[in-house]
Amino acid sequence: MPNKMKGRSGVLPLLPFLIFVTIFLLVPTITLFVRASRRIEGGTKPAMMEAMSNELRGSFVYSAKLSVVSALSGAAIGFLFAVAVTRIDRPRWLRTWVTGFSGVAANLGGIPLAFAFIATLGVQGLVTRILYHWGVDIYDSGFTIASFWGIVVVYLYFQIPLMVLVMLPAIDGLKPTWSEACANVGGSRSHYWRFIGLPILFPPILGGFLLLFANAFSAYATAFALSSGASKLVPVQIRFFLQGETITGRGNLGYALAGWMVIILIFVLGSYLALRRRTEKWKRG
Amino acid sequence: MKKTRLPVWEWITVIVCISFFILPMLIMARFALQKVPVSLLGRDTLFSRWTLSGVTATLTDDEFRPALFLSLRIAFFTVAVVLVLMVPTVIWLHLGGKRWRSLVEVISTLPYVVPPIALVVGISGTFRDLFPWLITSNYGLVPFYGLLCLPFAFRTLDAGVASLDLRTLVDASRSLGASSSKTLVSVLIPNLRISIMTTAFLSIAVVLGEYAIAGLLLKPTLPTYMVEAQGQQPQGAMAVALLLLAGTSALFALIGLTTNNRGKKQNETGLVI
Repeated sequence: MPNKMKGRSGVLPLLPFLIFVTIFLLVPTITLFVRASRRIEGGTKPAMMEAMSNELRGSFVYSAKLSVVSALSGAAIGFLFAVAVTRIDRPRWLRTWVTGFSGVAANLGGIPLAFAFIATLGVQGLVTRILYHWGVDIYDSGFTIASFWGIVVVYLYFQIPLMVLVMLPAIDGLKPTWSEACANVGGSRSHYWRFIGLPILFPPILGGFLLLFANAFSAYATAFALSSGASKLVPVQIRFFLQGETITGRGNLGYALAGWMVIILIFVLGSYLALRRRTEKWKRG
Repeated sequence: MKKTRLPVWEWITVIVCISFFILPMLIMARFALQKVPVSLLGRDTLFSRWTLSGVTATLTDDEFRPALFLSLRIAFFTVAVVLVLMVPTVIWLHLGGKRWRSLVEVISTLPYVVPPIALVVGISGTFRDLFPWLITSNYGLVPFYGLLCLPFAFRTLDAGVASLDLRTLVDASRSLGASSSKTLVSVLIPNLRISIMTTAFLSIAVVLGEYAIAGLLLKPTLPTYMVEAQGQQPQGAMAVALLLLAGTSALFALIGLTTNNRGKKQNETGLVI
């Protein structure tokens, strides 16, 4: 076929895309790691090693813990929510509505979300005051909206919908014949979930967990606005070091933190992709 | 299986979850629209002093409109960059470059691996000396915002192109004597309008909400304005946040409408990679 659009021209048509990604993503990422391997002023080790040996390691532990807790609770609640929605068949619109809403909420995050929760659970938040009125002072136990559990609760707002989006298609894949077969041999609902449902859904649940972890780990704007920039979370710390670059001479630590963040995300999202590829292969049989 | 059982725990779960999602929005709306401090809120003040004055005060604020218009202009250019870059690329992948499809797919998900807060560190380290315009100009944000849109832009457009009978369309167009660019503009793009519109709406939503890069590079966009206004006029900031949420939700609702009319293809967009 004498067709110019048929790619005998090699990779030429791909060049704009490759050049764009190289200039705006690859080069900055390489710079990031080059700067992260330099020393900070007065230091002897590369900044990336420095970041792991001083108080900043605490930041990573804190971020990782928060992401794990947020991903675990988001995955658990999201899974239950998705199962519940698929098992309610009247009113029909409920499921459409939940799917549509999840698409919106999973992408929300950011400043407006932080504001909404400050108005709800902040010191002067409506729910805080109502609970106080009823004799429950949540701030008495050291809770604040910018604390560990405060941020976990706020992140649930986009974590649960993300899990719902991951789980709904997977739950639809469970064939009714399986639960009927289980019932026919005398199995109860809990037998069904323990021995059939959950094992089959395990890969998407694990995948969802990894996705939620990465999502929480890289979130910045919400945590920044909740804590007014004072959180111990790694993304918020990055800002601190980058802004103070010229004053402290420790700017390379900001690069080091970002570098470690990228490495962790490569690992987590890489596992997610590998897992998904395996599941797809298995599904094709 | 017992079919008659009432779905009790299912309803409880659904109601609890939905309240968790709706309450903060309602409370933010109250905060933006009612001029009664929380401490004075009670049975007798519940319905008093509801006013749009907080919203209008913000809308007429001198710094609000420039921030909004800057964000909208950046959104416009970002959409242009994303579409000009990705539409021809994805079409080519389906015509002759099939071997490269998985490579492009992997590359387009890379922005998830280098999240905005890490990317901005690399940006400031790279371009501050090399090409300062990208750091100093407000429009320097455009290519980076385009980058943030790549993951869903690729997936959406790829699904759109895959649903066309591309080969036949191209061959038919050529046998009628159209050039490659004529084929692209008058045959392919009209057929891809739904996925193009979805990509555009999602990109606008991303640009209007992005704070990590804009905040660190000190760009006066809408989210930066909100953070600054939070201190001085919290009610106004809440009002802007509310408007932004309503606007974003409207965009997503539009996406839902356009894709629903075509059936299927839901959830293929957004964050899920």
